[in-house]
Amino acid sequence: MGRVGRPPVTDDRNTVTINLDGVDVEVEAGQPLIDAAQKAGTYIPRFCYHPRMNAAGLCRACLVEVEGPRGTALVPSCTLPVGEGMVVHTKSDTAKKAQEGVLEFLLINHPLDCPVCDKGGECPLQDQAFAYGPGESRFVEEKRHYEKPIEISDLILLDRERCILCARCTRFSDEISGDPLIEFKDRGNYVQVITFPDEPFASYFSGNTVQICPVGALTAKPYRFKARPWDIDGVESVSLVDAVHSRISIQTSHNEIIRIYGVDNDATNHGWLSDKDRFVHNHVQSGDRVTTPLIRENGELVAASWAEAITLVGERLASYDATAVGGLGGARSTNEDAYAFSKFMRTVVGTPHLDAQLADGLDPAFATSVVSRAAINDLESAKTILLWGPDLKEELPVLYLRVRRAATELGANLVIVHPRRTGLDDVAAEIIRYKPGTGPEVLRKLIAGESEFENARAILSEGPVVALVGRTGLTEDPDAAEAVAAFALELPDAKVLPLMRRGNVFGALDMGVAPSLLPGRVAIDDVDGRAALEAAWGPIPDEPGLNSTGILHGLAEGQLRALVLNGSDPVRDHPIPSVATAALENAEFVVAFEMFISDSSAHADVVFPVAGLGEVEGTATNLEGRIQKMNRIITPSGESRPVWSVMNDLALAMGSDLGLTSAEAVSVQIADVAPAYAGVTWDALSWGPGREGIVLPGPDGTQPIQYVPIDRGVPVIAGHRILHTARVLYDDGVMVRHSDGIAGLVQRGAAYLHPRDASMLAVVDGDEVVVQLDGAVQLPVVIDPDLTEGTIYVPFNLAATAGLGAVGTLRIDAVRGGDA
Amino acid sequence: MISHWSHENQRRAQQVLNRYPEKRSAAMPLLYIAAHEHGYVTDDAMREVAALTGLTAAQIQAVASFYTMYKRDPVGQYLVSVCTSISCYLRGADAVLAAIEDETGVLDGETTPDGLVSVEHVECSGACGGAPAVSVNWELVEGLEPDKARELITWLREAKPEVVLGDEMQMLFGGQESFDWGPKEIEGAIAPLPAFDPYGTAKADEQ
Amino acid sequence: MTSKILLARMEAHPADSNTLARYLDTGGYEALRTALKKMKPEDVAAEVKASNIRGRGGASFPTGVKWGFLPPDTRPRYLVINGDESEPGTFKDRMLLERDPHQLVEGIAISAYALDVQQAFVYIRGEYPKPARRLQRAINEAYEAGYLGADILGSGFDLDITIHLGGGAYICGEETALLSSLEGRRGEPRLKPPFPAIEGLYAKPTIVNNVETISNVPWIVANGGAKYAAIGPETSSGTRVMSLSGHLKKPGDYEVVAGLTWRDLIYDVGGGIRDDRELKAWVPGGASAPWFVPAEHLDTPVTIDDIAKQGSMIGSGAVIVMDDSTNVVGAAHRLVRFFSHESCGQCTPCREGTTWLERILDRILHGYGRPEDIGLLLDVSDNISPGLSWPPAMTTICPLGPSATAPVVSIMRYFRDEVEAMIPAPVGATEAPADGTRGEAAGD
Repeated sequence: MGRVGRPPVTDDRNTVTINLDGVDVEVEAGQPLIDAAQKAGTYIPRFCYHPRMNAAGLCRACLVEVEGPRGTALVPSCTLPVGEGMVVHTKSDTAKKAQEGVLEFLLINHPLDCPVCDKGGECPLQDQAFAYGPGESRFVEEKRHYEKPIEISDLILLDRERCILCARCTRFSDEISGDPLIEFKDRGNYVQVITFPDEPFASYFSGNTVQICPVGALTAKPYRFKARPWDIDGVESVSLVDAVHSRISIQTSHNEIIRIYGVDNDATNHGWLSDKDRFVHNHVQSGDRVTTPLIRENGELVAASWAEAITLVGERLASYDATAVGGLGGARSTNEDAYAFSKFMRTVVGTPHLDAQLADGLDPAFATSVVSRAAINDLESAKTILLWGPDLKEELPVLYLRVRRAATELGANLVIVHPRRTGLDDVAAEIIRYKPGTGPEVLRKLIAGESEFENARAILSEGPVVALVGRTGLTEDPDAAEAVAAFALELPDAKVLPLMRRGNVFGALDMGVAPSLLPGRVAIDDVDGRAALEAAWGPIPDEPGLNSTGILHGLAEGQLRALVLNGSDPVRDHPIPSVATAALENAEFVVAFEMFISDSSAHADVVFPVAGLGEVEGTATNLEGRIQKMNRIITPSGESRPVWSVMNDLALAMGSDLGLTSAEAVSVQIADVAPAYAGVTWDALSWGPGREGIVLPGPDGTQPIQYVPIDRGVPVIAGHRILHTARVLYDDGVMVRHSDGIAGLVQRGAAYLHPRDASMLAVVDGDEVVVQLDGAVQLPVVIDPDLTEGTIYVPFNLAATAGLGAVGTLRIDAVRGGDA
Repeated sequence: MISHWSHENQRRAQQVLNRYPEKRSAAMPLLYIAAHEHGYVTDDAMREVAALTGLTAAQIQAVASFYTMYKRDPVGQYLVSVCTSISCYLRGADAVLAAIEDETGVLDGETTPDGLVSVEHVECSGACGGAPAVSVNWELVEGLEPDKARELITWLREAKPEVVLGDEMQMLFGGQESFDWGPKEIEGAIAPLPAFDPYGTAKADEQ
Repeated sequence: MTSKILLARMEAHPADSNTLARYLDTGGYEALRTALKKMKPEDVAAEVKASNIRGRGGASFPTGVKWGFLPPDTRPRYLVINGDESEPGTFKDRMLLERDPHQLVEGIAISAYALDVQQAFVYIRGEYPKPARRLQRAINEAYEAGYLGADILGSGFDLDITIHLGGGAYICGEETALLSSLEGRRGEPRLKPPFPAIEGLYAKPTIVNNVETISNVPWIVANGGAKYAAIGPETSSGTRVMSLSGHLKKPGDYEVVAGLTWRDLIYDVGGGIRDDRELKAWVPGGASAPWFVPAEHLDTPVTIDDIAKQGSMIGSGAVIVMDDSTNVVGAAHRLVRFFSHESCGQCTPCREGTTWLERILDRILHGYGRPEDIGLLLDVSDNISPGLSWPPAMTTICPLGPSATAPVVSIMRYFRDEVEAMIPAPVGATEAPADGTRGEAAGD
């Protein structure tokens, strides 16, 4: 395959002059001719070419005539980089005949399915056949036939008759996502694209192949037959499934989201999405959504009016001492919602006890304000990448794609440190596997380049280095990740990217939804910073508050009495579920801002229905500190409202005016009071280069905290067996649970044991064990030789593993015979 | 390793894997060894080769299905491949194929109900000077006329040779040769797979 | 007229020309000894270049020039011998492998020394188990005797040779498809550039050469490249083995010197037409080559460049002779069916076009042709190989697609009346229009 590919993004702009259909044009050097021509206004037909994949030159639709020393030749323009003085004819008789010929060839076996094909109306084959093809086909023989369509996974259907064998799907799966589960089969005229029997196309990225398929061969079950492209409306936004904030187009018909498409943002996702980004939207239309305010009466949550509910909540919150109230959440929605939450809690309620994280992230100052933060695009020029953090394929899948690209296409050496195998192991230069808790010891040895770490240390001494640093699992101390960052920043030409997972956690922390931070990356003990904020907000508490663990303990033991849940499910997401449950049971008053009744909001005294994906306009900040615009396109379901609007009304009911009169008004306030956000306007985010996001600090902004990570000397956790628990992509989270189409993909869960641990427990694959940490769960055993001895792995927050938690004394027992 | 393979085939598989700078290259020879182990290229065979080479089963299927000699359906004990490319066509190959179909009672692409003989037409076998050419388990017979082809089928049915030897078939049924075959070849095929010692599919005839 | 280089040993010693004993007895491995002890690698390469030998696999590319494309500093390098011999009509490499394998082994060893290659692969088509066995035995003998392996003949030069069997795919004879196959992938040709000498096997610099080409290297080193160049015309130097088949009295492999005429080759060497019938046409260089006919080509010389000038190619040196009993539409159909079956399927014009051509010819053959099929065959062919000229232009990745058009163009050029005769007149029309348009039917 031609390795023209896409050159790494650099700032050098070199141009050459080519003669395109008789006209001299200046074009960017090094790019494929097909791109140069398109940018100069000449479209050349194509199917197999995709600007984010290596050119294959298979379909032959892009043939043009190029003059050369041996005469004029037909060349596929996708595989030819432009050169100075190149003379190109895209519309000569020969070129046009070749293009027409290819289109006729493509149509001879293609079925006349347009009336029943999802792709009709947005189909490159239709469009290009019309523009570049012959008017009629001369083929009178029998076409190829296949059983159609066939299910190749829970999400994807394949119609091999429609397939034009452009290999986009197979090349994407092999080169981009590293999941070559769909491949060519047979030869010549009988070539088809297919999976292996009993091995479905169960890739986290399968939906991308539906988007890039130039015909209706690959269709997505959740979208199939739902709409015609000309009936669809769409707006750009970002996916808040994780903290990468892949750019999406939310596409709707009749006020319902029917599809999410990937939009190419050069800074982040390159047009790709995970299947969770793509198919999670069904939760917005779920019949389980809370559509009216709910008030608990006689033990049951019953529908109430907004007026009733707001009045009640206002009265109750006002009745508590300020410091008896805590607030959790903020990562699930926009910066504007988080700002409103932060301002409400600090100025109206008067409490400092706020946390957007659930003890599952990093130190807020480290996460938001680290010096020498890497951008995702720094991966394009990295010589070495250190990945010491979560399994990206599970937790930040689109970032996984970017790292994979760097390691396979751009020659970066990847060093991975993780307790078990990760999705990137096959492209790593060096893999270090370790028992969770022993991280500090591993780090010490790595820094010293001792024995088996010598090679890794040598690799890390070649810069530029990009270090992706986070917690490998929930039983790991977050300070351990910071120590890694401290080491990484001493490497040559190094930048570090702290890895956060939750949707808009970064934005929430930036809005001060953290016990030690004020909006805009101001520390709570920054006297001047606080004074500046108080000038705009009025008085706020000057002591740091409790974090989520502290808030939950406080509620469980009675020091705190009321809780505001802002799109948060601590019973399921906090590493000490027993305390979270006790907190919710013991709290005197709980108000939840939610879309669904969850394990946590089921305890609420009042539930406010809030607007979600596609229903709110605002901004969000990703793990790079990149702020992007989110747009709304559908009306909120039922009576649901954006969080900021409810907060404003609550404040009014409690005698304060937050001044949050519209979503944009909120953003203007943010730009005013949050130093890092100064100069950021919705206009700037909607037009021009700002559409790809603005990395904060904004144009007029500053970052008051300049956080230098240090090694705090985290102790090694001794212990014969340690639990490793971490997220998988499809977990039993609130959004996935209510998303038709992907809810069924959540695995059942198991306890993964090293063979020696298994034999010591006398268990084999399929036997049951009881694992106990915070709570106890019974799970089937899977023997995993890729673990280090003594590591037990259990995926976090599946229905069967919920309650296990991540804090406590580990105990594991085999279930024998008649044991429960 | 594939612990349920024969010891010999495990050894051959390891040898093959060691020969190439990259494991993936071993896919083709491993498919032959696996085909011998399983009888033909079954789904399990493909899964096992995938595990050995570190590829997905879909990738191995992509390779196995590209090449006509990897049979993904059961094959008879004797695979009779009749060349019908241009040179053999010019010297009457179609009549040879028709005679074999008639004698076996099955058509091109089929296997006799007793599982003894599979019949197929193939493209140029590289024996054009000895057209019409036929292979049995990839051992060549040159200059095979239709009546002799019938005798060959009868002989396979009755003699059921354990080792298929090209020289023996040529002597009994063959005619025009592409060139002087030179010394006698004592190794032959023990399966409908190319008889090549590193892949374990060749055997010397003891007689 | 024919001096013998490649066939000398097997003709002189038919009973054991493939054994090490006979090989040594007839001067074998002396050239290797000379190369390793007395020549530098670049000297060996210079001799090969001086020989003007052009690739014997089909492309006729000058071997010394190809060797010169290797970038100087990149390692490792690989040498891959193309023994995929699947071009219909060709059976010379089979003979060289079965009857004189040591000649190839020594050729590989000397070439590897010249190119600084430590690992060589011989790709042999899967349908050639006997040639592969013979070669493997020779390789085993050579290892045992110290002509392969580590520190060959005490020279410090190491070489390993591995035989890799193909799986039944003609396209793997195309060098980049061969490398894909050797890498454990589908045998799909790759875009060029990059060329294998720059980025070949495992993306490393690789030379791919035909069995016959490399079999000449021992003689070239033993006698000097200039001597080889002096045999035959300058641009078709040396000898070559031509495979003759079809309606001949004496089909077989013959080592000839370029310059003889087709008449010489077909009537003297090949013994003339079987049953003394009339010569109708022949394929000069393997199934991909446009046909020649007696009226135009019988007395023209058999050289690489003369054939090219006349709009065909010597290719693999396979000559397929057709007498007057031949139904040319049937022959063309059989050839096109071959290409359709062997198409890898990657690129649109070949995958769809070759099968389309086969279907049209099949209909014509069985009496279901239409007058417009004549123009259609030519236009579909033109969409695979624009201009239908020589050397062929391609809309495809590799020459397989354009090769399929060669028989179509040949029968239209020389036997159009026979094609038209197979097409029934449309109902109501009085004669089939000559321009390929639909004739007027009754009632139009």
